[in-house]
Amino acid sequence: MKCFEQLNPFAVAVYYLCVLGLIMFSMNPLLLAIALLTSVLSAVLTGTANGRAHLFSAIVFLVAAVLNPLFVHKGVTVLFYLNDRPFTLEAAVYGLSAACMLTAALYRLRELSRVLSSDKVLYLFGRFSPKLALLLSMTIRYVHLLRVRYRKIQDSQKALGLYDDGNLIDAVRGRARVLSILITWTLENGIVTAESMESRGWGTARRTSYAVYRVHAYDALFMFVCAALTALTAVGVYHSEVVFYPVLDMDLLSPWGIAGAGAFTLLSVLPLTINGTEAIRWRISISKI
Amino acid sequence: MAHIDIQNLSFTYPNADEKALSDICLSIGHGAFVTLMGATGSGKSTLLRLLKPELRQNGTLAGKIKYDGMDIENNGTRTVGYVAQNPEEQIVTDKVWHELAFTLENLGAKQRDIARRVAEIAAYFDMDAWLERDTATLSGGEKQLLNLAAVMTADPELLLLDEPTAQLDPIAASRFLSTVYRLNRETGVTVLICEHRSEELFALSDRVVVLDRGRLVYDGTPREVATSAATAVDAPDSPFMGFLPTAARIFHAVNGRGELPLTIREGQRFVENFDNTVRSLNDEAVIENREEALSLKNICFCYERNGADILRDLDMTVYRGEVFALLGANGAGKSTAAAVAAGLRKPYSGTMKLFKKPLKSYTNGSLYRGNISLMPQDVESVFIHETVGEELKYCEAVIDSFPYDLRPLYSRHPYDISGGERQLVALCKALSSKPGVLIMDEPSKGLDANAKALLRDIILKLKGDGVTVLLITHDVEFAALCADRCALFSQGRIAAVDTTQRFMSGNRFYTTAASRITRCRYDGAYTAERAAALIRRNGGAL
Repeated sequence: MKCFEQLNPFAVAVYYLCVLGLIMFSMNPLLLAIALLTSVLSAVLTGTANGRAHLFSAIVFLVAAVLNPLFVHKGVTVLFYLNDRPFTLEAAVYGLSAACMLTAALYRLRELSRVLSSDKVLYLFGRFSPKLALLLSMTIRYVHLLRVRYRKIQDSQKALGLYDDGNLIDAVRGRARVLSILITWTLENGIVTAESMESRGWGTARRTSYAVYRVHAYDALFMFVCAALTALTAVGVYHSEVVFYPVLDMDLLSPWGIAGAGAFTLLSVLPLTINGTEAIRWRISISKI
Repeated sequence: MAHIDIQNLSFTYPNADEKALSDICLSIGHGAFVTLMGATGSGKSTLLRLLKPELRQNGTLAGKIKYDGMDIENNGTRTVGYVAQNPEEQIVTDKVWHELAFTLENLGAKQRDIARRVAEIAAYFDMDAWLERDTATLSGGEKQLLNLAAVMTADPELLLLDEPTAQLDPIAASRFLSTVYRLNRETGVTVLICEHRSEELFALSDRVVVLDRGRLVYDGTPREVATSAATAVDAPDSPFMGFLPTAARIFHAVNGRGELPLTIREGQRFVENFDNTVRSLNDEAVIENREEALSLKNICFCYERNGADILRDLDMTVYRGEVFALLGANGAGKSTAAAVAAGLRKPYSGTMKLFKKPLKSYTNGSLYRGNISLMPQDVESVFIHETVGEELKYCEAVIDSFPYDLRPLYSRHPYDISGGERQLVALCKALSSKPGVLIMDEPSKGLDANAKALLRDIILKLKGDGVTVLLITHDVEFAALCADRCALFSQGRIAAVDTTQRFMSGNRFYTTAASRITRCRYDGAYTAERAAALIRRNGGAL
């Protein structure tokens, strides 16, 4: 089954670039409300965020929404006074919009890190520099290797009775020794890796970067749809200018505004739509079998 | 025309007094499978590296190496593949598919060519299912197969293998060697392999070449080499005896006549020639009322709270003054068992006692002072100092009573000495706390026959001094040489435990070559020496 996660990483990156760009650069309350709702919906349906992540987002939302009206006193519509300072409607709306932006962006970034796994990121970098891609790949490998080795060294030093963590100074000294062994060990063995690279033709020709991903017609189609919806949204946002201070002045429901909001909604639920349609098609194809 | 033609080759390392290789003449035809044998330091690796110009080390070279009649310097990367000993370090990238593509990326191949070759190789090596896996999650055997596969992507004509199975367990090693054999037969690649596993390689190779201190001493078919090595004037003391397959050693020890047996099957046929009225040596010592040194009862352990149990109700008792071998496949959890027994990991249930006191009662590191010591699998993790001398001085190691003289190594860096010597320095360090129980994790890994024999002597000397030794190993042959009791570890617990004699005779598959050769005729002949002794007792040579 072909789903959003299996699209070419390039298409996925373009999608998140569009969505995050629109979320972060349009201070349009309607758009931001849609962004928050759809990103929560998507997080729930795809299981990207667990209970703790939702709680964290809720706290971020509340703090961001409350902080602005507490510290910004611009605006003419005073709702009430707090410690002799005005609490204005304008500042509250602005705060809510900013909170929507922040929370929606957080949800989308979390989703991005789930969808774009390390090898997909490597593929993206590899398009620009094959050497950078290899460097990243080797780094990822070494992080794991070093962690495993650190543990091994700690164990063997401890079992030899050389690792004393009875008091702070000894513990620090012990750690320093473990690190020193780790470095020696890794550097010494780095020679073997270097030889392995050399004997496999490293540096003999202009390097190419092999990727397991292909760009298919539907990737291109997907990117085209993304671009079109983003353009429509941007035009809509441009035509429905929003002014917060001193008086709220926004025409969110103008024809352009509605068109922009509609396009943005479609864009936001595009991954869900793709996966949903595929799930239905799968059901149908199964029932045919 | 010969594939490789080595003429009067000599090589000297800078600042070395002796030649690493002297006057080697060797001609290898296309598609040959040649095994290069010899003790550590005999110049095998040096010779192998000279055949791959990128890996050539500094030094003065005399003589000629021709590759297809041309000077080898003009030969490119593509035609010679090289796989070294350490599986972990040769891997460059984090994904299996990337590792396979690495060589071709370096050579600047096109996307579609790489895709085709990666798919082809993955199918041939049966690694299609793990293409997407992280290289870190592979086992040692899988890593080494990946290294071989990655080298094969460039379609080499010559494959150089420098002790590729030294770090692997017997099962993974067999799999690796049979893959090499298949490559040789099916693709015609010329194979030159340095290895100590004569049991398999004498059966697989077309030709065996033996080096000794830089000189070529034997060269011929496996049977010719084994025959001349076994019948040489100084044969019983010859360092090559240890490198011969068990069947050949039994044959030699009883002064056998006729054709020299090399494989298990040939060995069985040879043993059938002898009488078996005396079936066993009847020398099993019965020891009673033994004192427990280390006991584990119902130990359960897992790494993560919801993870699978690595140890499941493990029961193990090691008696004072014995050598106890815990055998089993790699990844079965033996090393975890060792770490738990050494108090490095806390089991979530079960009781452990050391010298009849709970392990928990040894507080403030007193456990590791005079009670228990662990020699780890990766001895690199032990060394702290610049020289072996400092290394031993710092931990106040008792050098005088150590059965091997380490003094000549004092000025060397621990990484610059041979694997066997490194093992001994680590052992000396582990003994510095004068432990009652010594746990050794895979001590025989990567050692040649002579180094193993030396290690065996040391372990037996320690036993004589009253040290209890717990040996964690996958090396059945080594366990047979030094253990009093053996246990088979499987599924997180001990599946069978018995005296070495009964263990080796009772097992049909997981046992020594000698035991397999003699099992139909004799009982308890689990080493070549015991088999020879039994044959002699039954009347000896026909």
